[in-house]
Amino acid sequence: MKQLILDTLVTGMPLVTSVIGIWMIFRLREDFDLTVDASFATGGAVTAALLVKGSGVVPAMLVAIAACGAMGLMTAGLHLLLRVPVLLAGVAMSIGFYSVDLAIMGTPSVSLADGGTLFSGFANLSPDQADLATIGVLSAFVLTVLVGLGLFLRTEIGLALRASGVNARMARSQGVNVRVLLCFSLVVANGLAGLSGCLVVQSDGFADVNMGTGTLIAGIGAVLLGELILRPTGSKLLRTMLALLVGALAYRFILVGALRLGLPATDLQAVTALTLVTAIAAERYGRPLLSLLRRRITTIGPPSRAPRAAAGTGGQ
Amino acid sequence: MLTLDDVRLTYNGGTSAEVRALRGVTLTIPAGEFVTVVGSNGAGKSSLIKLVAGEERPTSGRVELDGRDVTRLPVHRRARDVARVFDDPRAGSLPELSIEDNLALALSRGQRRRLRFAVGGERRALMRERLAVLGLGLERRLADPVGLLSAGQRQSLTMVMAGLRDPRVLLLDEHLAALDPGTQRRVLELTTAMVRRLGCATVMVTHNMEHAIDVGDRLLVMSRGELIADFSGERKAALSVEALVETIASAGDAVSDRMVLREEAAPAGAGR
Ligand SMILES: Nc1ncnc2c1ncn2[C@@H]1O[C@H](COP(=O)(O)OP(=O)(O)OP(=O)(O)O)[C@@H](O)[C@H]1O
Ligand SMILES: [Mg+2]
Repeated sequence: MKQLILDTLVTGMPLVTSVIGIWMIFRLREDFDLTVDASFATGGAVTAALLVKGSGVVPAMLVAIAACGAMGLMTAGLHLLLRVPVLLAGVAMSIGFYSVDLAIMGTPSVSLADGGTLFSGFANLSPDQADLATIGVLSAFVLTVLVGLGLFLRTEIGLALRASGVNARMARSQGVNVRVLLCFSLVVANGLAGLSGCLVVQSDGFADVNMGTGTLIAGIGAVLLGELILRPTGSKLLRTMLALLVGALAYRFILVGALRLGLPATDLQAVTALTLVTAIAAERYGRPLLSLLRRRITTIGPPSRAPRAAAGTGGQ
Repeated sequence: MLTLDDVRLTYNGGTSAEVRALRGVTLTIPAGEFVTVVGSNGAGKSSLIKLVAGEERPTSGRVELDGRDVTRLPVHRRARDVARVFDDPRAGSLPELSIEDNLALALSRGQRRRLRFAVGGERRALMRERLAVLGLGLERRLADPVGLLSAGQRQSLTMVMAGLRDPRVLLLDEHLAALDPGTQRRVLELTTAMVRRLGCATVMVTHNMEHAIDVGDRLLVMSRGELIADFSGERKAALSVEALVETIASAGDAVSDRMVLREEAAPAGAGR
């Protein structure tokens, strides 16, 4: 069990920032941006290529994140200038950047086993301690992003961003430049997916051109799972941010658990798909069931609670 | 002051689906004037509103706000001067977000938005003060999602939102349409009180002839993309629902039941 949790955290934490990026488009904009598949891989590829050339960790990561942000800008450009739907623009990007990533790395996969990564310093610790140290470093990144985004969304600009995804017409009539905010969210979302890629290649010790495949789908599964567990609503940002963290880790937990149960790695894609479908089904049908149960409980429950429940529904 | 100079608006120009929604409207509304607009379905009332809001651009003609040509400005760049309440209560608010978030968004209408918290103590106090005027108890529910509110509560909220930052022009397009008669009366009272306080040029589109006559300083009748009548002062005060319906019907337009409030007011031309 301990190993299961450690594995979940070590492999799950780096993915949280990509889940946050996917959420920014999926929930804040109600759209699907497949560019994240590409930017996740590109983030990894650029980091790996630079680290192999002997560059420092910080510049390598900064360059990688900037490159991925630029990819978001390209998707935004395709969408706004050529009027291609975001989903299609993302498809074009994810296919096109496969070749770019290959060119960047020179080979389909690059090993970072020689050190020089964020986590190289932990090489001579015991495996458990190395894991804990790795988790500590990863958590620092994840918490910074979560807290930063949570605070940002509370600002005037952040509120405008949330509004523009929910009701663009209304946001415009309040003076919000919806197009600029769309560019902004695509840049940030892909930058965050890129950060994920950076962290993954360094903690795994290698980069692979195919590593981005399925990032969007897994991310959406994680978002749904988190929402299922914590049920955040629009203005409850703390809860929303927590739901992202919990969702990403829970999603990973299921995959790691399946592997531990002896499932061959080749079946993982099927587990991913199943988890996603289950999360959607639970979202759709689980909620009415749960609220039905809750109503049962409140009506059976102590009489003092009944008036409060009645007052709560009276306002709707 | 709002000025329209011979504005024309053609949808789907050059195709078989071409619709000439506005055919040369010239109009000046000085600051502080409250104008009501009536006309049958498809007369071009909403098109006129959209044109002023910037949602549509005229095929020809000019739109000016306080003498400044805004004809080509997009919606978000006019928002400082133009406040708008939509006919659908859902259209004018963000259902998933809280009442205070909705109000905070409107508090920054047309302002430069910054990296400071959208909802703070000072702003909350202002929000409570403005909501308390409604008498709906919304000032105690700042954190509730707007989706929980009834249509009337929501429309009252969007009225408050429109008045948070003084606009030059207030646009109300059938903003009472989704409300029951009692709530209509309350929101209409709120509207007149707000217009008086703001002192801006106000355009209110309605299908309710009594409202059109009772409130405001001036009444415009539209038909097939043109202004066909303009009543103000004593002529407006002397108007009856029957006479107004007759004006619309005489232009050859069908008068819907919705327009005729009292049954005995139904004129001969009502069924076309
Ligand atoms: N987006 C559009 N594309 C094409 N035609 C449109 C569009 N919007 C409005 N029209 C047409 O323009 C004309 C004027 O429509 P408008 O909505 O301005 O009428 P209205 O006076 O507001 O009517 P109502 O009382 O039904 O709201 C109508 O014939 C309508 O079909
Ligand atoms: Mg209309």
